[in-house]
Amino acid sequence: MTGRITGRTGFMLIGGVALAVYALFFASSYDQRILTLSGVYVILVLGYQFIFGHAGALSLAQGAFFGTGAYVTGILGSQFGTGFLLTFPLSIAVATIIAAIVAVPVLRLQTHYFALATLALSQLLFLIGVNWESITGGANGLSGVPGITIGAWSFTRGLPLLAIVWAIVGLAMVVAYRQMTPRRVAAFTVMRETPLAAPSFGIDAGMLRLRAFLLSAAFGGAAGALFVHTNRVVSPDTLGFGVMITCLTMTVVGGRFGIAGAVLGALLLTHLPEWFRFLDAYYLVAVGVLLLASVVFAPNGIVSLLAADTERRTPARRPAGPGPVPFPPARPTHLSAENLSKRYGGVQALEAVTLHLESGDIAGVIGPNGAGKTTLANVLTGQAIPDTGRIQLGDDDITAQAAQGIARKGLARTFQTPQLPEGLRVRDVVETAQSYTRTGTGLSVEAALAPFGLLEHAETPCGALPHGVRRRVEICRAVATGPQILVLDEPAAGLTPDEQAEISDICTRLAGEGLAILLIDHNVEFLRPLATRLICMEAGRVIADATPAETLADPRVRDAYFGMNDL
Amino acid sequence: MLIAQLALNALALGSAYALVAIGFVLVLNATTAVNFAHGESVVAGGFAAVALAMFLPPDLGIPGLILLPGVLVVTAVLGLAIGALAYLPIHNRPPVSVFVTTIAVGIIIANSLNAGFGAAPQTAPALIGVGSFEFLGARLSRQSLAIIVTAIVLIGGLAFVLQRTQLGRQFRACSQDPEMARALGIRLTRITMLAFALGTALAGAAGLLLAHQFFISPSDGGSLILKAYIAVVIGGWGSLRGAAAGAMLIAIFEIGVAAISSQPVAEGLLYIVVLLVLFVRPQGLFGEPQQVRA
Repeated sequence: MTGRITGRTGFMLIGGVALAVYALFFASSYDQRILTLSGVYVILVLGYQFIFGHAGALSLAQGAFFGTGAYVTGILGSQFGTGFLLTFPLSIAVATIIAAIVAVPVLRLQTHYFALATLALSQLLFLIGVNWESITGGANGLSGVPGITIGAWSFTRGLPLLAIVWAIVGLAMVVAYRQMTPRRVAAFTVMRETPLAAPSFGIDAGMLRLRAFLLSAAFGGAAGALFVHTNRVVSPDTLGFGVMITCLTMTVVGGRFGIAGAVLGALLLTHLPEWFRFLDAYYLVAVGVLLLASVVFAPNGIVSLLAADTERRTPARRPAGPGPVPFPPARPTHLSAENLSKRYGGVQALEAVTLHLESGDIAGVIGPNGAGKTTLANVLTGQAIPDTGRIQLGDDDITAQAAQGIARKGLARTFQTPQLPEGLRVRDVVETAQSYTRTGTGLSVEAALAPFGLLEHAETPCGALPHGVRRRVEICRAVATGPQILVLDEPAAGLTPDEQAEISDICTRLAGEGLAILLIDHNVEFLRPLATRLICMEAGRVIADATPAETLADPRVRDAYFGMNDL
Repeated sequence: MLIAQLALNALALGSAYALVAIGFVLVLNATTAVNFAHGESVVAGGFAAVALAMFLPPDLGIPGLILLPGVLVVTAVLGLAIGALAYLPIHNRPPVSVFVTTIAVGIIIANSLNAGFGAAPQTAPALIGVGSFEFLGARLSRQSLAIIVTAIVLIGGLAFVLQRTQLGRQFRACSQDPEMARALGIRLTRITMLAFALGTALAGAAGLLLAHQFFISPSDGGSLILKAYIAVVIGGWGSLRGAAAGAMLIAIFEIGVAAISSQPVAEGLLYIVVLLVLFVRPQGLFGEPQQVRA
């Protein structure tokens, strides 16, 4: 990513200089204090962006992490006279440790339970803050927290305090920037928008969420510590829901992603009370209205009103040479599944399914709705764990392994419903799959796109692609992981005959390079000429597994699939 | 007889909580979104009662229960406003968006009440006067009796509408499969708005019921939404019966633990229990009705 000098970044640089000049030469001591608080909130919001923005999880514990940092600094500073150099890292550490303790149970929860669990945690910490009077000072809190001193320098108020807080803000920005590399941002996007598919492209959603949650807690703890050094007292307010609301409002109004959004949100919301002073008691009502209006009218925050940075990239070029671009060859292997069964409640979705695939096979799978075709794909690729049975990829037993591990071992898949994040460009989608599976053959993204005729779409966001192209992107992404086995779940559904022919051609050429393909579809006319074998499933069982002609002639298949014996 | 007394107290508190939780689920089922302003809706109901009571002639001992229709109307209108402002404009966005807009509406409600009435706790008139009856060796206050009976009547009425009327069938159809319901000609938006009106009115009624004995202040919304939320997690996400049962359990827990220790301990323990429940059963105590299909 080079050439980031226009748009948002340019605005931020000019704004930053203007702000520095204002702070140095024009701001009253009161203005300086407000700017100091802005800096504290920038750190809080930068942290919240990890979990709320990138991970897409509504954490209501960000205020609690802030309060935790505040109390660690407040208690140690006021009661034991501990200095900043010790209390600051400790504030960060304690907040992070609390996050780590609850992370395992909490992070696997779905949205609404995650919000509840983080809210319950916050309320619990708030109750402790108010009621554990001997340690926390109860409802009154603790006063006499020392200012920031480092060696002989003291940064207790005014410009020095402002300077050190914003220096730490700068540090936090660097950490945030380095954590959120374009590669990781893309992985977060895939995880957030297509959570079911993400593991199949090597993305470990659990680890990403954990990283985001711990980072958010660390930043929250740091912000809380600095807040207490600014106010010199710590009170239960720092643990209250008000901080959470402030943080949420700043993030939503400023922007869920990026440093610019955090700075804008924090600066705006800390200065708002000044500008809205005439509203008096109704000020917080105005904050609520602002939050509501932001979600409805500017869902990506006011930062989205600024022009985005233009990225200079050389346009994707087709590798030299005439004719269709060849696919990279696949390492030969075989997949064997024995006696797979899977039950969902009262439904036996798979029953004693046995199946073998060799390099070069195109095994079609047909069967009525509910026959267990997708369950078979899910069990093979680690999206679901079989109740019984064994799956072997080459010499590797991959039964019940995590989907991301199976994807890295060379078993790739597509999904029945499109699983492409609308906002990501085709290039990013394919690149993410390549880099997170690491089985890629070291091919460039262009080389992965070219055989699918997708170079011209490389810079297009997936949401803007027609359905037929999306299907090709999905197969391209699966192939970009460098698989030996490819499971395609209804890749031709809803396509025109021409587009179906394209998919058919792609499958033949992939098989020619040594890939083994399991191809689920309803369309017998599509499968008959393409498949080397045709498997028919009914009620979770394989009822036929032979050449297409033999399978289609099987009376049980005719009965089950076509509901008649005289086709 | 202490046990009987505590049980009666828990029954009264649980009845009011049940109204809150059922209202929460009504909106949840119609929108698949969490209405975070629901706690503030309870508070709004309490303050509606406080405000309407100013119009009652004093010293005549007019029972506060007479305010119920007024409170229901005021909070039903509030519910329509919540639906129109916080849900309809963004109903196609991810559920997190509705969380945030309803949090925003909650802020607006709480701080409007704060600006209008002040932060101090207020009390609504007693529902049917003061005094108590002897019942199973325990004292049942008139207030508790009125809370229990009112909640039973409101919940019974709702159950009748949902189970026995065409409107109720439409309602249930929309919560089970909104796309199909729309395809069959049910006006989804109308049903959704009705859910906001009904759900918020039930919360408002709970506000009236709670506001005499427990007082009501503008900042109470947070702990009320948390209790409704927990009740629904305990009772099974989306289940109306479960919500009522969960609310009852929370009331028993609160009153029982508070009897042997203190209110903050009871509250803290409740949150710990919830975290443990989610730790053991990440899909909620009774699981969820439907799973996402890849």
